[in-house]
Amino acid sequence: MDPQHWLEACRLEELPPGSRKLVKLNNLEIALFNLEGVIYALKNRCPHRSGPLIRGFVDPAGGIKCPMHGWRFNLRDGSSERPARATVYQVKAENGLLYLCV
Amino acid sequence: MPLEQIDQLIKDEYAFFLQERNGWSLTTGPQDLELVAHALRVLLHARTTPDFLADYLALVDCQNADGGWSPFSADQESTVWVSAFCGLMLIRGNRLLKHERLTQSVKKAIDYFLNTQHQDGRWVDSRWADLDTTSHPVSFFNVVRALGETHNWGDVRRAWEQGLRFIIDHQSTDGGWYDNDFHPSGVEITAHLIQDALVADLVIDSRVRGVRESCAKGAAKLYEWQAANGSWDEENVDHTMDCSRSLMVVTRILGDGRGEDIILRGLRWIIDNKNAQGWGDFPGMETNLERTCDGLDTLLKYKASCNGNPLDVVRLWGYVP
Repeated sequence: MDPQHWLEACRLEELPPGSRKLVKLNNLEIALFNLEGVIYALKNRCPHRSGPLIRGFVDPAGGIKCPMHGWRFNLRDGSSERPARATVYQVKAENGLLYLCV
Repeated sequence: MPLEQIDQLIKDEYAFFLQERNGWSLTTGPQDLELVAHALRVLLHARTTPDFLADYLALVDCQNADGGWSPFSADQESTVWVSAFCGLMLIRGNRLLKHERLTQSVKKAIDYFLNTQHQDGRWVDSRWADLDTTSHPVSFFNVVRALGETHNWGDVRRAWEQGLRFIIDHQSTDGGWYDNDFHPSGVEITAHLIQDALVADLVIDSRVRGVRESCAKGAAKLYEWQAANGSWDEENVDHTMDCSRSLMVVTRILGDGRGEDIILRGLRWIIDNKNAQGWGDFPGMETNLERTCDGLDTLLKYKASCNGNPLDVVRLWGYVP
């Protein structure tokens, strides 16, 4: 594990399926979502008007909609029909801990 | 709510706003122009615009050749929503500043909106819902009409009326406006449309049929949507400020006293959920400048709405000189 890139975010048990959690790493707010056992990590600030994605609306198709002005992003890769992408981070779990590549 | 408390909050928050000037002033470097427009609105309503001519001239400097503005001042591709907000602040600011460069800039902005309207009356901006986007040039043209600007007057009147019609025609039968992609709950769009686009016509010349009914239905929907704790849209600070401000002007113009308690509940929630300095997007979140500008604007409008003369609050939308 490269300590320069992979940082411990939280214990896995803190993010059970269906939950979300906000963490701060390297002074960066990152929104974590557990959708049916798959964990996604996005920069918390929407690229439109910096709305907090941690408060967004998750849909069954794997998207999240910003609560401020409705920009929707794919949780997997941050893609969007709007003119900007959300920043997503790689995630991995080891020994009951969740790590993010930031 | 005691006005002394409101006055003290305005004083404290305005001092914080000035302290953060590097974050919003174009005189210190390139900026996010939506934030700049929010800040200029605070200056207008705090009656300090004459001290900030350099900020207005800097806004003119970053106007694009087509008459619009970009979301970021260093960019050159115009978008409608931010252009309308900037144009609105310029025309309102120039009523006080009376500067030739601002006068010419406003004319260029008028031409930009005349050139970008679609045939069905809407304006489009990929960053915002069409209804929300359309309400902003309509709002700008409302103020153009209210202040008697005559540049391309006939075309302005036609474009304004087409835009207004587009908005009225898309009101839902329940009184709200919705956009499935951007804003399914409809709260923010409804609050924006009745205050920015529609209600001005009742003050200026009541030219378009159906505006009063449309506003009344929209306001009733906002009443219905308010949560028991006074907030709107899942405790969204921005949208609660939007709804509170919207009802301040719309209910005053409609003469609908039912709005008073609802506005007060909204305002109490906004104040209760303020940070030590400024506001965040949701309770407990860190302060950001845009929300702080909105919070200050809400306090300033509430203060004006408490005055005996109903036009005092309407003036803070620019619908009367």
